[in-house]
Amino acid sequence: MNKAISRIFIVGVILFVALIVNLTWIMAGRAQWFADRPENKRGIAKEMKIKRGDILGYDGSTIAGSRRRSGYYYRDYPQGTVAPQLLGYDSVRYGRSGIEAELNDDLTGQSTDLGVQSWIDRLLGRKPKGASVQLTLVPAVQKEAQVALRGQTGAIVVLDPRNGALIASASAPTYDPANLEDAWAPLSTDSSAPLLNRPTQGLYTPGSAFKVVTAASGLDYGKVTPDTAFIDTGTYVVFGGKVTNYGGAVFGPNDFQTALTYSINTTFGKVGNLVGRKRLISSMQRFGFYQTPPLPLPQGEVLPSGRYGKKGLLSPDAFMDPLAVAWAACGQEQVLATPLQMALVAAGVANGGRVMKPYYTQQIVAASGAVVQKAQPQQWLVAMKPTTASQLNVMMQRVVNSGTGTAAALEGIQVAGKTGTAERGDGTNLAWFIAFAPADDPQVAIAVVIEDTQSTGGEAAAPLAAAVIKSALAQPSLP
Amino acid sequence: MALSRRNIELLFLVIAGAVSTMAYVSVYAGRFREINRVSIIYGLIFVGIFFLLHLLVRFVLPQADPFLLPITALLAAIGLTEIFRIRPALALTQGQWLLVGAGLFVLTVILVRDHMKLDRYRYIMGAIGLGLLVATIVLGTTVNGAKLWIHAFGFSIQPSEFAKLAIVIFLAGYLNDKKVLLSVPTHHVLGVPLPAAKYFGPLLVMWVLSLAMLIFMKDFGMALLFMSIFVALMYMATTRIVYVVLGGGLFAAAAGIAVAVVPHVQDRFDTWLDPWPHATTTGYQLLQSLFTIADGGILGAGFGRGFLLYANRQPVVPDLQTDFIFAAIANEIGLLGAAGVILVYVLFMWRGFRIAVWAPDGFSKLLAAGLAFAFGLQTFIILGGVTRLIPLTGITLPFVSYGGSSITANLMLVALLLMVSHRTNVVREGSDLERRRLAERG
Repeated sequence: MNKAISRIFIVGVILFVALIVNLTWIMAGRAQWFADRPENKRGIAKEMKIKRGDILGYDGSTIAGSRRRSGYYYRDYPQGTVAPQLLGYDSVRYGRSGIEAELNDDLTGQSTDLGVQSWIDRLLGRKPKGASVQLTLVPAVQKEAQVALRGQTGAIVVLDPRNGALIASASAPTYDPANLEDAWAPLSTDSSAPLLNRPTQGLYTPGSAFKVVTAASGLDYGKVTPDTAFIDTGTYVVFGGKVTNYGGAVFGPNDFQTALTYSINTTFGKVGNLVGRKRLISSMQRFGFYQTPPLPLPQGEVLPSGRYGKKGLLSPDAFMDPLAVAWAACGQEQVLATPLQMALVAAGVANGGRVMKPYYTQQIVAASGAVVQKAQPQQWLVAMKPTTASQLNVMMQRVVNSGTGTAAALEGIQVAGKTGTAERGDGTNLAWFIAFAPADDPQVAIAVVIEDTQSTGGEAAAPLAAAVIKSALAQPSLP
Repeated sequence: MALSRRNIELLFLVIAGAVSTMAYVSVYAGRFREINRVSIIYGLIFVGIFFLLHLLVRFVLPQADPFLLPITALLAAIGLTEIFRIRPALALTQGQWLLVGAGLFVLTVILVRDHMKLDRYRYIMGAIGLGLLVATIVLGTTVNGAKLWIHAFGFSIQPSEFAKLAIVIFLAGYLNDKKVLLSVPTHHVLGVPLPAAKYFGPLLVMWVLSLAMLIFMKDFGMALLFMSIFVALMYMATTRIVYVVLGGGLFAAAAGIAVAVVPHVQDRFDTWLDPWPHATTTGYQLLQSLFTIADGGILGAGFGRGFLLYANRQPVVPDLQTDFIFAAIANEIGLLGAAGVILVYVLFMWRGFRIAVWAPDGFSKLLAAGLAFAFGLQTFIILGGVTRLIPLTGITLPFVSYGGSSITANLMLVALLLMVSHRTNVVREGSDLERRRLAERG
């Protein structure tokens, strides 16, 4: 009997040894793996005990504050809805997104570059205090953009072409970030995707707004001048297919700058083939297409623009026949662009061909009051020669003064822009307008896109751009 | 000079008391940022209870094992501390249950005094055990998908915790009586030597009972526990491995049926195999448990310093203070502390089996081994469950989990083990006076 009892005890000991081995595996072997699982929200919940840094607008007003309730901090939004898709959320249930995710280490005071005080606090085991982040976003302009989009689906991006600062980033439809957790289920299943940050995640056919890129390519490679003559018969037959104009229009003899003013597809199709696939794609790359714009946001929240196939972004070397090149030169075919990328196109022209790195952080101020990070504008790309940029600047002014974009004209401010209208084949259009102003000393660059409209870019998007530009230029200071 | 058993017990109780006080003070300080009189008074009450139990044992069972009571005190203190940490209001209730448990411990020791008496009441014990289980099936209410509780007179009782003791007493008596008959094969089935068919009766009764527990109570853990107790005792009584094979096979069949038929059990099984697709539904609790345990790291955050409560005061794992209390402990005292707690359970089990091996008679051996086995297996089932070593089943962690029935029944279990060890030690090495007293009691 004792032998049997001992055996049972040995079996018991083996089982307990298995428990300890398994426990070691969980707590020591794979602890980090468990911590990194997306289902694990413990990290976020723990950080609710830290006073999360405020997110401020460029004017110093609080966009997202931190309110204490029984030992835990919660976000509040004293100005209501201000760029919620860009700011992102910080939720125990749904995780983090946007700037809240990207700058989390700063906002929770855990970043290693928050200065000596934060190191001392950590060594002493004190709870860190979040650093506040001042954005380049100007709340007044942002609100103007949101009002402009109200009731529609689309996006507006406003940049300072001189330094790349993001002045406004509006996405519609939108939502109230204050009760995101309660509204999550309808918001996340809504077919109009209110949670999507359209300025950086919305991929749209750029249509004629893309002609700015084609024009830059043609002028820069010396294939055309603003005065190069073309004849439009309403149809450009190429490689067994044809390129036609919007609404079946026929313009007859025209020069290249007139072709931009009235957005003549046949001329741009021809210019596309004069330039050729390689140079056109190369110009696109010099504007930032085919790479993810370096706006610091979490993985997947900024999408690259370029030609897309069924499996996503195509290689820049992918084959195109001359018909495809002609349509791509008109911003059709398989070309897709984000509103941010199109704003960067306008900004590149405005800034003499130099495309600045887009950014949204003006400065980060540690809880101690020390400025630990300050915006340092950097050049990103050179899209074209300065002479090309000034030729294109003049051509884009003509679009607003006498062409398809007259609705964007402003009293006393010369606006330069380009319309775009992409027909979606179901009777609705995608309306685009990209612009910068004032033309002789550009301070703002903008891209506006409206989905599901019956109107053209000149009708639906240009007036919104005008209103936002006016608001931006009326600000006492811009980043 | 060698220390007497009771002085060893006192020494270890003091050590356990000191460790518990430190843990409690740590939680208290973490919570209120101060140590005040209230915190010390609570600690003293706890120490007082175990000191009284020690005195009782010193006078009634002087030769009893000196380690069981300090282990009990240590585990109960860890449990109380962690419950106070998670839900302060429940700690007071648990403290009251500890008092009730201590009372029942005293009653058990005084009324029974010598466990040999219980052998005479084995069928009554069997009937009580069976009755408690049937009552649960008939009168029980369903909590978390399993029917474990009877609500009566404003209390919730989990009868299976007490049934466990009664059944072990019954089986120890019955199997000790029939062990010779059960170990002599009378015929062969497919070359396997088997004893007379009529002695299989209890095996079948037990199997039907555990099957009923599975299907009607949906309680996989208790069913596994009861079936295993039975099989282990059969094996220890007869030393015939055929019972283990048969019992294991029968239980596997029952478990298979339950997984196929009872959705609650099926969910638990699926979640165990792969919890990730069910992360927000049936797998939520298990995954949160794993996350909480993994977050403890090697050393843990310290008592009262782990992240166990959300901003709305809800625990990070549902049922954290009961079935999942080990997740809280692992989080706060880390791998080293949690492994230490597991070793304390192993130590308890070892003392129990040691008593069984040294016990002079079959009934004492089977009783002590059965109780130690039940205690150890119950611990393994819940610890394995919350760490995903085995499918999760709702069962309490002895002495640590919140729950009156659990702590009360397990204190009675300790009382029984102490009685067996006292008798064992007296028979083996006691003085003539002690032997005479023992004889008078019987």
